[in-house]
Amino acid sequence: MMDKEKIKFTDEELVARFQQGDERAYIELVKRYKDRLLNFVYRYLNSFEQSEDVVQDTLMKLYTSAHMYREIAKFSTWIFTIAANLAKSELRRLKRRRVVSIHTMGYDDSEYEIPSEDFDPEKETTSNYGEKQIQEAIDTLPDQFKTVIILREVQQLSYEEISQILGISIGTVKSRINRGRLRLQKLLKDLKVR
Amino acid sequence: MDCYSFDKVISDYIESNLSAKQKQEANEHLAQCPACSEKLGDMAQLLDALRTLPKPVTRPDFESRLMARIERQKQQKESPFIHVFHEYSRVISVAAAVLLFVATSLFVYTSVVLPGSPASFPSASIRSVEPAAALPAAAAGVRPEQASGTAEKALPDTNRVKNPDYNSRIMMVNE
Repeated sequence: MMDKEKIKFTDEELVARFQQGDERAYIELVKRYKDRLLNFVYRYLNSFEQSEDVVQDTLMKLYTSAHMYREIAKFSTWIFTIAANLAKSELRRLKRRRVVSIHTMGYDDSEYEIPSEDFDPEKETTSNYGEKQIQEAIDTLPDQFKTVIILREVQQLSYEEISQILGISIGTVKSRINRGRLRLQKLLKDLKVR
Repeated sequence: MDCYSFDKVISDYIESNLSAKQKQEANEHLAQCPACSEKLGDMAQLLDALRTLPKPVTRPDFESRLMARIERQKQQKESPFIHVFHEYSRVISVAAAVLLFVATSLFVYTSVVLPGSPASFPSASIRSVEPAAALPAAAAGVRPEQASGTAEKALPDTNRVKNPDYNSRIMMVNE
């Protein structure tokens, strides 16, 4: 009965229902957003395990702080803002840990990131760029470009949504996207030459 | 338009966000600049690759793990004492250790370093058995061994009471 009903609801309606105590609305939001959020966070962190944890934290936050949501912004914008902030904190933590790992590594320990079994970054995309190459280039991008590129190119969000998520003007979003694309292009060219 | 200006509008060119005049200038530049033409083609391909990157999906037990976390959090909220204990368990254990150390130190100090103090070992209070008998003897200048002798006399001989032939046995041994 509920399954047929909930298809009609928008995200905002589901949050409203959850705010009134309907936990089924929360579960529906989880189903709608878990993979979208994972796609964004995975491209940002480049670690499946950590990304899943960040998505869990984001959805926990939704559970505990749903009352904070006001319908002045789209729900997707609100939830991506939470995920982006948590992913940023996680990346800082991972970078600190990686620095420590590299310092304590021997010559034989060149691989320190364990790739997920469920996901193969070696898989080629439709173009002549391999996913691994692209991910490597994304990882190298400065954070201000990296976030906008992922939100725009991978998540396909509008300039306006990105501007709301990051709290910057649309002009700045456009400028960062353009500069980010050029940087990414140059990085990939350099990777090919290597 | 030069190469630098084209770089600034390359995204708008791809997304068709340029005015008619800007688009015409860009087209004129592209017609005479093979490097920018190549860059444009390359960029379009890159954006296409980004859009078609494989999308990771959460593991099948993702939702059950999430709901278990929520359940745990609910339980913690229901028993705030346990939550506070978990939150501050390290502080509480350190405080307990410090308290134990201070208490032990105080006990050792008062009973070993200051044996005459009221909180000393029980053996110290045994010495002061029969204070009523010992006190007048000391006051009269009697030596302690004499005073203790008088105190011992007052004690009943339990062996003698239990064994009636006790004295005769002692006599036989002496013979």
